[in-house]
Amino acid sequence: MMRLKNYLCLPVGLLAALFAGACGSVDIDDEDLDEVDGTDAPAVVTRVDPATAATVNGKVYFEGDLPRARRLAMDAEPACAGLHTKPVYSEVVVPNDNNTLRHVFVYVKEGLEGMMFETPTEPAILDQKGCIYLPHMLGVQINQPVRILNSDPTTHNVHPTPRNNREWNESMAPNVPPKMKQFPREEVMIPVKCNVHPWMKSYIGVLPHPFFSVTGADGSFEITGLPPGEYTIGIWHEFLKEGVTTQKVTVAASESKSVDFTLKQAS
Amino acid sequence: MPKKPPVGDDPVLNRSLGRILLIASLLMIASLLWALYDETYGLRPWKDYQKRFVSLYSRHLRRIQPAQSRAEQAVRQSAEYRKLSEAVTKAEDSIAPRISDLDRETNQVVSRRLSVITEPFAITRSEIAALIYQIETSTSQSVKDALQRQIDAIKAREVTLRLASANGSGEVVEQEERFDFDQLEAEFNRLQARRAELGAQRAELVKPYNELRGERDTLLGDRLTGLTASQVRGLRARMRNFELGIRQIHVAEVDLVDRCESCHLGIREPVVLTRADMRGEEVFVSHPNPALLDLHDPERFGCSTCHNGNGRATTSVRKGHGRHKYWLWPLFYRENFEAGCHQCHAQDLVLDHAEVLNRGKEIYYVEGCVGCHRFDGFDTESEALTEVQSSIHTLVEDRKEMGKEIEQSVLAGDNAQDNAEVQRYYARADELKQQISNLDHEMERLEVRSADLQIEQKRIGPSLKEVRFKMRKEWIPVWLENPHAYRPSTKMPAFRLDEGQRRAIAAFVWQTGDEGELPGQPRGNAVRGKELFETRGCMGCHAVGEGDAAQGSSFAANLSRVGEKVHYDYLVPWIHNPQERQPLSVMPSLRLSLAETRDIASYLMTLKQADASYPEADYLDDPALGSEGSMWVKHFGCAGCHEIAGFEEEGRIGTELTREGSKPIERLDFALLTHEAKHDGWYNHKGFFERKLKDPAIFDQGKIKTPLEKLRMPNFKLADEDITALTTFLLGSVDSTLPEHFFYVPGDRGQDIREGWWLVKRYNCMGCHQVRPGQQSDMSGMARYQDPDLKEQLPPTLVGEGARVDPDWLARFLRNPAMDAERTERNGVRGYLHARMPTFRFSDSQIQKIVRFFEALAAQDRPYIPTRLEPLSNRELELARQLFTSKAAPCLRCHATGNPAHDRNATAPNFLLAKERLKPGWTERWMVAPEMIAPGTAMPSGLFQREGERWVFAGSLPPAFRDYAKDHAELLVRYMFQLTAQEQRRLMSRMPAAATSVASR
Repeated sequence: MMRLKNYLCLPVGLLAALFAGACGSVDIDDEDLDEVDGTDAPAVVTRVDPATAATVNGKVYFEGDLPRARRLAMDAEPACAGLHTKPVYSEVVVPNDNNTLRHVFVYVKEGLEGMMFETPTEPAILDQKGCIYLPHMLGVQINQPVRILNSDPTTHNVHPTPRNNREWNESMAPNVPPKMKQFPREEVMIPVKCNVHPWMKSYIGVLPHPFFSVTGADGSFEITGLPPGEYTIGIWHEFLKEGVTTQKVTVAASESKSVDFTLKQAS
Repeated sequence: MPKKPPVGDDPVLNRSLGRILLIASLLMIASLLWALYDETYGLRPWKDYQKRFVSLYSRHLRRIQPAQSRAEQAVRQSAEYRKLSEAVTKAEDSIAPRISDLDRETNQVVSRRLSVITEPFAITRSEIAALIYQIETSTSQSVKDALQRQIDAIKAREVTLRLASANGSGEVVEQEERFDFDQLEAEFNRLQARRAELGAQRAELVKPYNELRGERDTLLGDRLTGLTASQVRGLRARMRNFELGIRQIHVAEVDLVDRCESCHLGIREPVVLTRADMRGEEVFVSHPNPALLDLHDPERFGCSTCHNGNGRATTSVRKGHGRHKYWLWPLFYRENFEAGCHQCHAQDLVLDHAEVLNRGKEIYYVEGCVGCHRFDGFDTESEALTEVQSSIHTLVEDRKEMGKEIEQSVLAGDNAQDNAEVQRYYARADELKQQISNLDHEMERLEVRSADLQIEQKRIGPSLKEVRFKMRKEWIPVWLENPHAYRPSTKMPAFRLDEGQRRAIAAFVWQTGDEGELPGQPRGNAVRGKELFETRGCMGCHAVGEGDAAQGSSFAANLSRVGEKVHYDYLVPWIHNPQERQPLSVMPSLRLSLAETRDIASYLMTLKQADASYPEADYLDDPALGSEGSMWVKHFGCAGCHEIAGFEEEGRIGTELTREGSKPIERLDFALLTHEAKHDGWYNHKGFFERKLKDPAIFDQGKIKTPLEKLRMPNFKLADEDITALTTFLLGSVDSTLPEHFFYVPGDRGQDIREGWWLVKRYNCMGCHQVRPGQQSDMSGMARYQDPDLKEQLPPTLVGEGARVDPDWLARFLRNPAMDAERTERNGVRGYLHARMPTFRFSDSQIQKIVRFFEALAAQDRPYIPTRLEPLSNRELELARQLFTSKAAPCLRCHATGNPAHDRNATAPNFLLAKERLKPGWTERWMVAPEMIAPGTAMPSGLFQREGERWVFAGSLPPAFRDYAKDHAELLVRYMFQLTAQEQRRLMSRMPAAATSVASR
């Protein structure tokens, strides 16, 4: 008899256990879960020691026949034509006397991956003066403020047509306060135009770092303050897009290296 | 005495069953345990899911809580929130003393007094009421008098109550007061009124404070993505108290029970749950498109209505998903899930949230499936035409009958006995005359409709009556052999033809072609033609280049090798006016000049492969071959897509597919592949459709068939995603068991949109235009238009077109986009665009549908009654002129003026068109924020700025504006809408002189 009782206890007990597990709410000890890291690691800004900073400089030459700079016909717009005493020429292709090109954007294309650079608070300036954008070629860092001015007595509209950033088109009457804008995405280059004055063109290069330069009246550029390393230098020119090449350069601490480019008219 | 068996033999004594019993009872226990286990776990796998969900979800909530708190904190610390928060506190502080006064009076005086007074007052009142009732019911006057005296005594009785009241210094003191009944009643009423008054004062006082608080909380909700920390805490608490159990939706009217959410617990959670959030357990993710659930409340629609599957099954995933041979409606696979939309949206060609299904329907519609397979709602014109014609026939018969009856009535009247009867007969004859005239009105309508339908009828492929004019003879058999070799993207499918069939069909087509001579065309300039081809708009439908190199739209033929095939002398008249040559084609006229047409045709003739060669095909003239071909043309249903002489009335040869998705699986002929299909798990509709579309001959495998018995469906060489799209469409094409009211029945606007899409897709409006937000036109994808300056040469966006233009104007524009009967070689609105709005051969009812479509898309009322604008005062007229011509307003630099020298550089329409064409409200919205309507437009934003309730021009204003207090944008709109040509000339004369000379880029 005792044995039978023992046999019975087993299933009854199991049964009770099963139902206890099956019914009722689930026990969740919420606090017992793995500690989860809710904070993102703060971004580390790369600082370049001025003592070891390297420099890359050089010139951009051209080869072959370049189209003659076209005279801008501002006659339709007396408000613009009146601002100039001499004829104004297109800034698309501006060759210098020493076979170099002006308005070529030179920048570090590769080699800075993984580094973060501080966003300057000092705004870059884009002015509309004499119905021309100044400068013609502008480099800024991501989210750096860009102050846009209208120094003319006529109404312009500022119309960047980016691929990676957002497009906008805003009217700027004379004497209005400057517009403050910024571009959150890397892009080389963003064309900027004025629909009222179709000859007006500017290009803005947006980079995640401060290592860019635009060739001047002698065709030269200089990128300073680089951390030592191996870089790919890219160039961009509005007309000779096809002939654009890159060059690799390695700079040691405090080193200054020269890299020249030669652009050719694409056939 | 029974013989005692020997002790050793007694089974009771020396045979033990213990072992057997033990084994049996162990087995019993084991099976009991198994049964219990199966009952609790085995049959209820969802319990496990629920436990896992609770644990994963709790973990996720716990993980996001700090971030949400931080985000909430950030909002709370934002200047705007703090400002509001301070305002709330300030408002609270400012009303606090007054509130406390009110509350004190309410609570300490009024309510306390009331609570003491109420009882004695109520008792006395009821005593009096009882006595009054007795007076009313008693019959004796003396009793009445006695009762009245009793009442008077009660009323005179005085009570002493200890009541609170405020003394002069504001303190509350209790003192005794005496009242007779009238005084008591007056005091009671006064107190009640006072309490209500105090309450109202309080509510009035806290109103601004409550509004501010609401504003603050709304700001928090708006700024914060996701939930607030307290909401997250709430969800966590809910998870801690989670009860295991079936979660089901019951839709009683269709007897639908869906228990899907017993496992898919994350579907409707307020937190978006991704796979990663739930540690890779896809079963717990949120519904990927919550917008769909907003449109189709799961409590009303359930899950399996859209997704299929067996909503009641809970014992295994396989059964729940309906992947069981006895379940007719297995869950749609992920790539086909939009099939579920079709049963209720069968008449919609374009449906939001259903891109795959839309693609499937579009292929069916414009790629030619409908040429062989009837499908309800697709290509209905020929059926409608038959119907209209039979209605006309009936009307003609009715009319004849009525005519006879008139004659009889008149005759009967003439011979009637008395005048009353005469009048009756004659009146009947007159009634019938009028009825006939009503029939005539209807007849006219039907005849117009019939003419319209004849215009609306279109064919997918070109007319084969034109072959002799159009193309090289040798090209035909080469094409028939493998259309995709010549043109990989062609809509023409590859038929399974043997050499003999091919020759016969080619010969027949050649021999039935119309004969005649076309005038010879002088050659044009191919270089100029290329430019024209690329800019006039041809590439809104046609492409050149194959594969990745293709530029243009894939809607119509890819013309990369067209020069190998066609005759130049045909190409010129065809391009010049396609509808004249082939009215069954959808190709419109671009209103090109003959010179332009010749340039383009000359360019097209240069498009050929250098090494292409075509063998001689003299056999095409063999009459015997031709008559054999006739049979094959009929057999293969060529006339489904092509106009062929003698085959005009030919019907469709394929099976109707309107309900193909619910056809019993046994009726889909897997033929010799049945066994393989069952074994490999594709013995279902999806498997059949996919394989058939990939290789239409697949189910002939291993069969021995005569040429006439072979499956006829040709191979369309569909891309895999197109096969998926078509399969989705076919899977959804079911005979729905849902009651009617589940189906989507649009209102007037929805109906207009629904009907419009059929035309928008047929004529490929989206090749050139953006029709709905987010869609890009085919043209805008071309390399050419990536240049920021050429981008402005793209045809205008039509998003909001119905709000922009006057519908009557739009109807006129669609009929003749040149807006001029004589000068047709231009755009009526945007003369500056190289691309031309083509002239389509639309019927009146098509134009009406298109106009209504755009009106409905922009939520416009119909009919449109133009807004009346307040006329300009003389002063306003002068102000508007000054503003228009001021240096600060650049309007007339870009907008055309009608002055040819100026218009050469114009990049926007002439203001003179505004009155006829635009709606004033839209015009004002456009002027102040064009980027909202057409992002990327050349029209700049920021021309006006908000000043209080009005828009003010954002630039230096002419001095006369100093005391003008009205809206500047509105002023300009009103000016624009009364502009005349004369006024425009006057304006131009005020512009600085140089406006007439020409600027170049």
